[in-house]
Amino acid sequence: MQTNYVMIHDERRCTGCQSCSIACRSENKVPLTVFRLQVQIEGPHGAIPHLHYRYHRVSCQQCENSPCVSVCPTGASYVGDDGIVSVKQKLCVGCQYCLAACPYKVRFIHPETKAADKCNFCKDSRLEREGIPACVDICPMNALIFGDLNDPDSEVAKVLNTAITHKNNPHLGTKPRLYRIPTKRGGIHNG
Amino acid sequence: MKLDRRTFLKSASAGGVYCALSQVVPGTLATLYASPLEPVGQEVMSICEMCSTRCPISARVVDDRNVSINGNIHAAPYGGKVCARGGSGHSLLYDPERLVKPIKRMGERGEGKWKEISWEEAYSEIADKLLAIKKKYGPEAVAFSSKGGSQDRELFYMARAFGSPNVFTHISTCPGGPYVAAASMFGGLPKCDFGNARYIVNFGHSMYEGIEMWEAQAMMKNQVDKGTKLVAFDPRFSILADKADEWYPIKPGTDIAVALAMSHVMIRDDLVDLDFVTKYVEGYESFVKETENYTPEWAEQISGVSAADIVRITHELAFHAPHALVDYGHRSTYTPEEFEFRRALFAVNILLGNIEREGGLFFSQKAKEYNGLAGEKVAPELGTADMQVPAPITQRIDMVADKQYTLLVPYGGVYQSILDTAIKSDPYPLKGWVITRSNPLQTVTDRAKVEKAIRSMDFVVACDVYITETAALADIILPESTYLERDESIYDYSLKFPAYAIRQPVVKTIGDTKPCWQIWRELAIKMGLGEYYKWNDMSEYQLAQLGGDKEELAQLKEKGWLQYGEVPLLLREKKMVADFTKKFSGARTPDADGTYASAMKFRTPNGKIALSSSFVETIAPGREVIRYRDVKMKKEEELFFIQGKVAVHTNGATHNIPMLHNLMSDCSLWIHPETAEKLGIKTGDTIRIHNKIGSEEGKALVTLGIRPDTVFAYMGFGSKNKELKRANNRGIHCGNLLPDVTAPVCGMNLHTTGVTVEKA
Repeated sequence: MQTNYVMIHDERRCTGCQSCSIACRSENKVPLTVFRLQVQIEGPHGAIPHLHYRYHRVSCQQCENSPCVSVCPTGASYVGDDGIVSVKQKLCVGCQYCLAACPYKVRFIHPETKAADKCNFCKDSRLEREGIPACVDICPMNALIFGDLNDPDSEVAKVLNTAITHKNNPHLGTKPRLYRIPTKRGGIHNG
Repeated sequence: MKLDRRTFLKSASAGGVYCALSQVVPGTLATLYASPLEPVGQEVMSICEMCSTRCPISARVVDDRNVSINGNIHAAPYGGKVCARGGSGHSLLYDPERLVKPIKRMGERGEGKWKEISWEEAYSEIADKLLAIKKKYGPEAVAFSSKGGSQDRELFYMARAFGSPNVFTHISTCPGGPYVAAASMFGGLPKCDFGNARYIVNFGHSMYEGIEMWEAQAMMKNQVDKGTKLVAFDPRFSILADKADEWYPIKPGTDIAVALAMSHVMIRDDLVDLDFVTKYVEGYESFVKETENYTPEWAEQISGVSAADIVRITHELAFHAPHALVDYGHRSTYTPEEFEFRRALFAVNILLGNIEREGGLFFSQKAKEYNGLAGEKVAPELGTADMQVPAPITQRIDMVADKQYTLLVPYGGVYQSILDTAIKSDPYPLKGWVITRSNPLQTVTDRAKVEKAIRSMDFVVACDVYITETAALADIILPESTYLERDESIYDYSLKFPAYAIRQPVVKTIGDTKPCWQIWRELAIKMGLGEYYKWNDMSEYQLAQLGGDKEELAQLKEKGWLQYGEVPLLLREKKMVADFTKKFSGARTPDADGTYASAMKFRTPNGKIALSSSFVETIAPGREVIRYRDVKMKKEEELFFIQGKVAVHTNGATHNIPMLHNLMSDCSLWIHPETAEKLGIKTGDTIRIHNKIGSEEGKALVTLGIRPDTVFAYMGFGSKNKELKRANNRGIHCGNLLPDVTAPVCGMNLHTTGVTVEKA
């Protein structure tokens, strides 16, 4: 792999403001009935006064071992040279195997193209044009970090080497490329 | 894709936005064969208007109907970012429910029968009606109210030329408390240096939801990167409370007791910066005497915050002084003693001696001040093309009875004073109301009374981008262009050095809308007031602001943001003053201690910080010294009802915008599990919330994030007019439950009250 794009969601900084969700919609023209990206504010958990919220980014985890790609009968779901899991719209027959196979439930059928769709790190929009996904670019709190993990000088490499991070459902062996820096209170919930 | 009427409606209706042609409201975008967006440039720098913060933006048209909006990277304090509201501007632009033609009421007020009219007809009728009122009752019989920003300048200029003193912004329904308290103490509102404070105490200012971009960013960076401690007092577990290190679910309206006890502890334990107080503060002795009884134990009885915590927090805060601050806030839980509450917050800062220090409170270095200190013209001073218009002769309606609101008037007066005046014709008749981009039926308390006031008027004009709840009761509605289609006067963004930004069109105007400067200028001319307008369009106005410097204007339009000098300056920071004098050879000579402390100017009667204010005593007898007064905001058996902000909506303005409605279409009432159990209420239940003001139905959200004696809802939901199809009756209408009470001196509307909640 020439590049290995990864993303880190710093939940200490995230305020759940949904700026990312809106930027994603505008950039990728995602219809209002579906979404590629949301941050769900969960809670409060704990006991008064030691409560805490969880800020859960719900989007494609960009798995290294991606079940959505292995079940795809037509090769529409694929992993590119850049490591990004994406969908070739023209090859998709809308069979929805990938929707069923995704353990994170972040795929949907696009109401206009009728093809499977999901976050692809803005591969064919802002990343292609400006080298950065729309959500990362807009995040007011700088809670999203994105870059090439193959580059040891990249910010993502530095952060992953210095911060405490975890991933969603590691026991599934999907090896997500979306990392999480947990908030300062409460347990780590990586489901 | 070519957009004809059918495909446009189809695409615009994705996501539950249905707009059957039979229900199309005249004058709205749905009636048009909407053409694709026409970009003005490839990437245009402008200013957002999805809330009142006005963040600098950069916008790029993506396709026929999408615009990608991000922050303007030149505007460093804003970090090149926007929030969800800012990113959704284009959703407003192409909303079929947006108003794009002037319309006139055909049936009864509020009946929803409208007819499209031309601008010429609209101007003629408005001019006739307003001039008739002026002739019969005098020009003061017309009230003018506006959203803050350039709209108020445009509208109020016309109002002054018309001869009416009665102009109002939303100030008394939102941030007026700190403005008035600061005016009495400093002669102006300072800013908080959130990015550099080493300890921050926050009273209910949910700044990660009501996002003021430069402040929220600076604070988050400070919290995470530097580990700065944040203590939050709030009856609700807000996002800020979550991000804080300590959260105290304080009893609503008792924040002032904790703030006064903090001052007590500072004085008692010798933590006050006495050197600062001696040099710059008046009224310290009377404040010391007054706070003698405000012990932490006393505050604990009132607020529920333990005395030990108050003492510890005060000591921690003072340890970091002067690089520590108490956020003087915005909103929080209002009380009728809002004025004293805000003064008490400023008082702690004054005792910390954090004025003009890093991590403390500071005043903007605007061009005039900065140039004066630099000894050269670093930044152009903003001029104007406005003329001297004679001041109206009649007294404002909020100033007739007494002078206690004197300090609020320059910021926009007591908005809600329109209600009683209109209904009772006291102190004199109010027969006309011109409202631009303001939605008093949502933002002013006691909805029924606001409606009654509107109905008692002879003639009401609204100017907006939607048929808002308020506009729906008007006689004529004028469609303003959205901020993505219009230009405006240059706006001052100075913080620690001067900076300006400019709003300009991103796309060509859709439909038959006009920018507000054009609307009020043309109406003024129609009313025979053309002599007051020397300028013809906004470019001329902007050029006059920059003293005719075309080059400067071109640069500002290209970058959208210009900053000058770039050496940040806080007058009492030696290092900054040294850097400043190094950069500007003709700079003012620093004081003996290496600061510019002697340049601090407080626009108070004797030039000192008025911790106690003899001026306030003259306008409001008995209020010279900050004092705690008991207040009663609810009956014993009722629950406190408080409101707050959410990051995806702006009070009373954005709830019908498709993308934002899609993110949050409803608001539930937060209820503590213990309270919910007593009432037999579960999450998702339909509930009735009522008091003597009104009754609302909504959904319950049972959560630990609220005190057992309090319920909470986000503001701005539950519009009652049918023209806003999405927002109509979705969620709790807060204004329908709040009483029309005005706080002394600061004139603030009361947003805390008592309610009874039951299963519907």
